[in-house]
Amino acid sequence: MPPSCCGYLSQYTHHHLVAFLLTFFSYVFLHASRKTFSNVKVSISAQWTPSPRNGSAPALLPSETWEKNRLFADEQQATLFLGALDSIFLFSYAVGLYLSGVIGDRVNLRYVLCFGLCGSAAVNFVFGTLTEWLHIYNVYLYCSLWVLNGLLQSTVWPCVVAVMANWFGKTGRGFLFGLWSACASVGNIFGAFLASSVLKYGYEYAFLVTSVVQFAGGIVLFFGLLTSPHEVGLSSDCPTGLSPVDTETHRPLMSDEEAEEDAYEPHYRSVRRQDEPGQESPKAVGFFQAFWLPGVLPYSLAYACLKLVNYSFFFWLPFYLSNNYGWKEVEADRLAMWYDVGGIIGGTVQGLVTDIMGKRSPVLALSLTLAMASLVGYSHSPDDKTANAVLLAITGFLIGGPSNMISSAISADLGRQDAIRGSREALATVTGIVDGTGSIGAAGGQYLVSLIESKLGWIAVFYFFVVMTGGSILFISPLIATEVRAMWRERQMRHHQL
Amino acid sequence: MKTGQDLLTPTWLVFILSLCIYRSHQLVKPQVCKQCSGTVPKGSEVGKFCSSSSGRVVGRCCLANETSNHERIIGLDLSNCSLTHVDNLQEASDALIIDLSSNAIINMSDSAFQGFSQLRQLFLPADIACPGGNSSWDKVKTNEGIRLCEGQRNMCNQSGKMPVHCPEYSHCAAYGPGFFQCSCADDYHGYKCLREGEFPALWVFGLLGASTLVLSLLLWLTQRRKAKSL
Repeated sequence: MPPSCCGYLSQYTHHHLVAFLLTFFSYVFLHASRKTFSNVKVSISAQWTPSPRNGSAPALLPSETWEKNRLFADEQQATLFLGALDSIFLFSYAVGLYLSGVIGDRVNLRYVLCFGLCGSAAVNFVFGTLTEWLHIYNVYLYCSLWVLNGLLQSTVWPCVVAVMANWFGKTGRGFLFGLWSACASVGNIFGAFLASSVLKYGYEYAFLVTSVVQFAGGIVLFFGLLTSPHEVGLSSDCPTGLSPVDTETHRPLMSDEEAEEDAYEPHYRSVRRQDEPGQESPKAVGFFQAFWLPGVLPYSLAYACLKLVNYSFFFWLPFYLSNNYGWKEVEADRLAMWYDVGGIIGGTVQGLVTDIMGKRSPVLALSLTLAMASLVGYSHSPDDKTANAVLLAITGFLIGGPSNMISSAISADLGRQDAIRGSREALATVTGIVDGTGSIGAAGGQYLVSLIESKLGWIAVFYFFVVMTGGSILFISPLIATEVRAMWRERQMRHHQL
Repeated sequence: MKTGQDLLTPTWLVFILSLCIYRSHQLVKPQVCKQCSGTVPKGSEVGKFCSSSSGRVVGRCCLANETSNHERIIGLDLSNCSLTHVDNLQEASDALIIDLSSNAIINMSDSAFQGFSQLRQLFLPADIACPGGNSSWDKVKTNEGIRLCEGQRNMCNQSGKMPVHCPEYSHCAAYGPGFFQCSCADDYHGYKCLREGEFPALWVFGLLGASTLVLSLLLWLTQRRKAKSL
């Protein structure tokens, strides 16, 4: 039998717990500051524009209170610019993910993480707080700061996944990673809470508080994080990959391979330190090499389709709800949270199921097929908030779940597979590739959604989502075929043994 | 000789001191009061107003002590002053009475009296209309080539006209004849009155700094201290 879900909990120390919480909260803070930006958009565009004039009414006086700031003529232009900033961020985030995974595998993960968190906190502070205090409103400054922010933020995800994969082996990874990947959704909720509680003092304080919290998180991480169990002389769980027989041969905690690695690890580090910075270390997997690892390309493309749908919900759902049903913005924001809730539960439950089954892709395929149906169902949702919330949670469960799983558990599987056995330094690179490709899909999707919506209406947008979900099934179908075939063979073998 | 010098010293001091006071008065004397020569005539409307409200005539102005060391212009008499353009009277924006009669005024800018919310009496040449239009004043009289605009109306609570709408968190206040301003409501401030209250910086950062310190120390002691350099 595969390992049960409860047996493995006893093998974890307080170091495991701290690593889990530190990586979890560093991404919570990161996503909180990302959410802050989308929550203060109304205040920012008010700050950038003069007061609207209706018809022949005289201009409001005193003009330094009502007419002074003229970065944009009206709020519509400001909204367009804010949308452009979203796209700029996503693209530079995607490019950064490709780069930072490679960096994360070559430099100490703790330094990269701390740099990413504190650096992006500083950029956020300059973007939102300093420019407001100094009254510098400049489009080019905002754009270049947001490019920098995307690059800095991209260092965090590959590194936290790599740290998590170092601490938690494949046994139980699905469940723990499912639980852990709730960090993005928790960050959304935390960010919305922080922003709404200080927004009355001015939008610059929303940026100030989230960036200071993020900076503090970076400092705590620097003093507290152990990037791998090896640092305290513990061993990680068996670092095996997607081999078909892997779960049946329930490996011992300390395999020979692990001991071997322990033996050469110090030597390898010292060699690496002597290397030229630009020179590629013989142990770390190269960027292109990682791209062609089995499973990386199909999952990257599948994730591009899926993240497109997922982020479209993140960016457009409140707008759709208030636009299509005429619900108030606050109510729409609150309702949209059910999608996140569905995603949290979906990631955890589906991760647990894949752990018990020992296979990930069949669960993904089933969930995504049902997701296509639920998307069609959601597009025909009745004009009722409860029904809408239920449908939204189901859709979140079926789309957010697989999405969370690919970006965390499956990325970790791929970065630790047999093809690169012996080299542990592919984790961040592979995670970066998967999430980076996903982010490119998401960035392009934001444009496509607004285009389709304006030309063909919301129903067409939902059918576009259905097509994209189908596309993601298509991309992983070869993997599904091999895994299902392997499962079938195992069952036959077991049948014969009995 | 010695006593004479002792007597002289305080006299000199007083003289220098009074010179200083005089000089400083000269320095703060607003430009608008020197726009033309002469002073406010005793018998004019501004002159009568000034003596009844115990003001001090300086050039063409009537000044009143607001606080011990701050004076404001409560009356301005620029009659018979060869004025052709009226646009820079902002120094006298607290005035209650202004006389611009007996001038060949060609052009009076629309915003010339913006902010003159205290203004109660304005004398103009007969060919010049009252600022803000007749509806901004209680009474408009023309007599012997002089137009008198009297009793400024508050734009904010005018009955019969379209009510004035100020944006959220601000309320309407008088801002001169025909003008109103939207000033931020209590506790609101900043651009478009979007900000409310003061950010409790000390409290927030104190709490955050302390918890960061404690957490860092705790985690360092339990986690990183045990790390072996690889």
